[in-house]
Amino acid sequence: MTLRIAICSLLLATTLGGVGAGLHPSTNARGALSQAEGQTRPPEYKESDFLTRVRRLTVEGRRAGEGYWSPDGKQIVFQSEREPGNPFYQIYALDFATGDTRRISPGYGKTTCSFFRPGTGEILFASTHHDPKSKQFQQEELDFRASGKQRRYSWDYDTEFEIYAYSPGGGGPSGDRRGGPSGPSEPKYTRLTNARGYDAEGSYSPDGQWIVFTSMRDAYNRPRSPAEQKQLELDPGYFGEIYIMHADGTGQKRLTRVVGYDGGPFFSPDGKRIIWRRFDTSGLIANVFTMNPDGTDVRQITDFGAMSWAPYIHPSAQYILFASNKLGFENFEVYMVDIDGKKEPVRITYADGFDGLPVPSPDGRQLAWTSTRGGGSDGQVFLAQWNHEKALEALRAAPDRGVRPR
Amino acid sequence: MTRKFVGFIGALALLVPATSPAQTAGASRTRAAVEFLASDRLEGREAGSTGERLAGDYIAMQLARAGAKPLPGHADMFLPFEFTSGSRDGGSTITIRRDGQAPQTFNGAVQIQALSFSDDAQVNGPVVFAGYGLVVPDSQNFGYDSYAGLDVKDKIVLVLHYFPEDTDAQTKAALARYSDLRYKALAARQRGAKGLLIVIGPRSPNKGETLRMSFDTALSGSGIPAASISGPAANALFASAGKSLEATQQELDSGNPHVGGFALPATVDLRTKVVREKQTARNVVAYLPATGSTAGIDKPWVMVGAHYDHLGRGTHGTSLATKDEAGQIHHGADDNASGTATVLAIAGTLAGQMRRRNIVFTLWSGEEIGLVGSNAFVTAPPMPIGQMGVYLNFDMVGRMQNNKLVAEGTGSSASWPRILERANVAAGFDLRVLPDPYQPTDSSSFNQAGIASLFFTTGSHADYHRPTDTADKINYEDLDRIVDFAAAVTRAAADADMAPQFTKVDPPATGATLAGVRVTTGTIPDYTTEAKGLLLAGVVGGAPAEKAGLTKGDVIVEIAGQSITNIYDYTYALELLKADQPVKVVYMRNGQRLETTLIPTPRR
Repeated sequence: MTLRIAICSLLLATTLGGVGAGLHPSTNARGALSQAEGQTRPPEYKESDFLTRVRRLTVEGRRAGEGYWSPDGKQIVFQSEREPGNPFYQIYALDFATGDTRRISPGYGKTTCSFFRPGTGEILFASTHHDPKSKQFQQEELDFRASGKQRRYSWDYDTEFEIYAYSPGGGGPSGDRRGGPSGPSEPKYTRLTNARGYDAEGSYSPDGQWIVFTSMRDAYNRPRSPAEQKQLELDPGYFGEIYIMHADGTGQKRLTRVVGYDGGPFFSPDGKRIIWRRFDTSGLIANVFTMNPDGTDVRQITDFGAMSWAPYIHPSAQYILFASNKLGFENFEVYMVDIDGKKEPVRITYADGFDGLPVPSPDGRQLAWTSTRGGGSDGQVFLAQWNHEKALEALRAAPDRGVRPR
Repeated sequence: MTRKFVGFIGALALLVPATSPAQTAGASRTRAAVEFLASDRLEGREAGSTGERLAGDYIAMQLARAGAKPLPGHADMFLPFEFTSGSRDGGSTITIRRDGQAPQTFNGAVQIQALSFSDDAQVNGPVVFAGYGLVVPDSQNFGYDSYAGLDVKDKIVLVLHYFPEDTDAQTKAALARYSDLRYKALAARQRGAKGLLIVIGPRSPNKGETLRMSFDTALSGSGIPAASISGPAANALFASAGKSLEATQQELDSGNPHVGGFALPATVDLRTKVVREKQTARNVVAYLPATGSTAGIDKPWVMVGAHYDHLGRGTHGTSLATKDEAGQIHHGADDNASGTATVLAIAGTLAGQMRRRNIVFTLWSGEEIGLVGSNAFVTAPPMPIGQMGVYLNFDMVGRMQNNKLVAEGTGSSASWPRILERANVAAGFDLRVLPDPYQPTDSSSFNQAGIASLFFTTGSHADYHRPTDTADKINYEDLDRIVDFAAAVTRAAADADMAPQFTKVDPPATGATLAGVRVTTGTIPDYTTEAKGLLLAGVVGGAPAEKAGLTKGDVIVEIAGQSITNIYDYTYALELLKADQPVKVVYMRNGQRLETTLIPTPRR
């Protein structure tokens, strides 16, 4: 099986399709489990303890993922491949009141990683649509698919990815649907980054004034050693670092300086911390970290010895939702862990295949995530009611992490 | 008409529970209909039965209450169709003649009964005993041919029922698959025999009894007169043979394939008479007219339907009742009072709303015996097929678990995913979406007719086709949610500028489902015909049959040298085919006998 979920907060390296080969024993899920068995057994839960009325939100198109809520919880913005002629993701916003879905991105090129800007009608996302070769790449990908060939999963770190802010046409108020691409006035796209190398995975601060994002510009803006050159050809994600900028794109500043892929950053609900995930240099093991918005006070939250990533802090600020393949290289599940990472994480989802990219609703009562549970290998966005009280209870009951299972 | 209508409302008033869907606003909109349809009074709603008629009357009444009308040009909501409900022996006889003996005639059910698939015929000729009448294809790596070395051409063959009694389990299993009486009849016919006699041997269970004529839903003869005869009749045939039937059976029961058959010193006059009983069942069809003019609207008819018939007491057809449950009423609450109640409630919901297209509500009978009602409808449609926009089917929607609703057949139109996604934003189901429109329910009839269709279900369960599928086990809360969702999907289709465009799906080439068939040909048999041969309801796109040039309406009469008179012959013939080895197919098209070459592909 080849996992075909694409993911902004994770950019799984080229290794994901090659299960087994090159997989370090310490990332083996069963290995991790058997170690855990030697300790006090944590309470056992089932998915319905935390998630009820699971529902599939996206149906149209080949794949969809990465649903992020609007600050009022009335819309969700996600990426989906659903229009003929473009085999890459475009960005769509779904309105819960009407059921209408409108495209946010221009419709051509590659896009990923969208996020609502609080207090405005703006939505950021990463896109390559300025690349004159965009439509050529679309056709090439369609031809490749038509050929029936398969390739290993790998995220496309197109160096042309830049972060854009969409604003509805006519500068209408937040949620003004007339502003959609088919509306009477054209939407505006403001380019916020301009560095060679992948710029994506952006999200706004709660006050809407800042953007944290991932950039691989460090691979291009300085001389590279031969080893680095080889690394770049093998896996550009290695050069991924976290950056911050003003919402208008000014004042871009690098926050992390550790080799290995740093990415998928989000602000905490009070805006005082940034949460993200950091891969090791192998690109196989990742863990969740937090830091101050100036890059200081870095703290490691998880230590599964597996790929733990796509963290998001619950609006209560009491715990973190994330995804990990602790139980099997291609079996990602959603977990939660207390905000300081002092206790053993608690497993949330129980489905084969992929469950990841958890994003709680602003009121903390629902969860959006990306899952292959609908069948096939391509993800779709799912929603469920989230039992916050049960989550708190489970976190209280979770054993202290003690000796890290490593 | 009006009087008659009033009359049956009066009669129904005695039957219908105090609460009917229309009277219980606020409460479940589906419970009353399910409880009524699945009640003992309706006795399992077998097609053509009194219970089915009462159900049809009730449905028509509920549709009328919702404001739906008979189709234009129709006086009422009933679209009757004829089907074969069963068969009985009409007085078969056999006369045995031996040299120097007075002829002996046997008649009456104790002595002789035609088999349900027998041709109606009168034949005479010498008799050959052919053991168990078994032919196991070489492909099974197990050679067994009761006809080896026997000439049965223009003769009447006598064979034992079942298969050798004393063999080991593995041999039994291999032989059992070929011991079906239809297969034995086929084997005899293909060797030129002009009649087949079956006897239950003295060493087998129910020895010497004749076989009760069984229900047979594929309704044509097998191309050969075939009858079961009693022990005394068989003994009369053996009387001058020099050894008894019992001793002969004992030899055969070891399973030794080298024990051959032999000619019996007798001739017979065999007359078989099968009376196939025709019955009438009723589709109930009504519509809510568009609220404005449909002039200029693309495909102005949108169809929503469910079958309302079920298995009666399960004495015919596909009951899965356990021994203890045999003969009990099969209530069919989920299958498919649930879908029927859903359609009725959709009518109630949509009646008060604006709609651009006419919305037709179709409640089928005859589904359980092979989609007969919906097939009759698309075969003789009350409005041109080309004017039908979509068909939405609801079959077994009453057992929702964990919020899961399955929508099958989304591949039949590129419009479905968007329509479903949008409707589900409000409904909030964990939708499972499957593209394959080739499903064992009435939507298949519409897909075959080239109409974009969807089939909704909450899936099968342990009570499926058993008397235990009862109304108390229905999840009414979620069934009502399905009604709202379905109404939204119906409206989306009914109000769209362009009706969803039909897409022909090439389904996974799974072919026939019989265990022994190892190849697929991509033919879609029409199970609801009495044509001689195999009438194709369609061919799978891109599959061998299509590549061979076969198409809907062709009648296959021979494949790989095996003559085909019906679906059973065809299935058996498929067992003999090998993947990638071309075979000759003879078929009838517009009265012409044509040939083509078909290359079967391996079954997945």
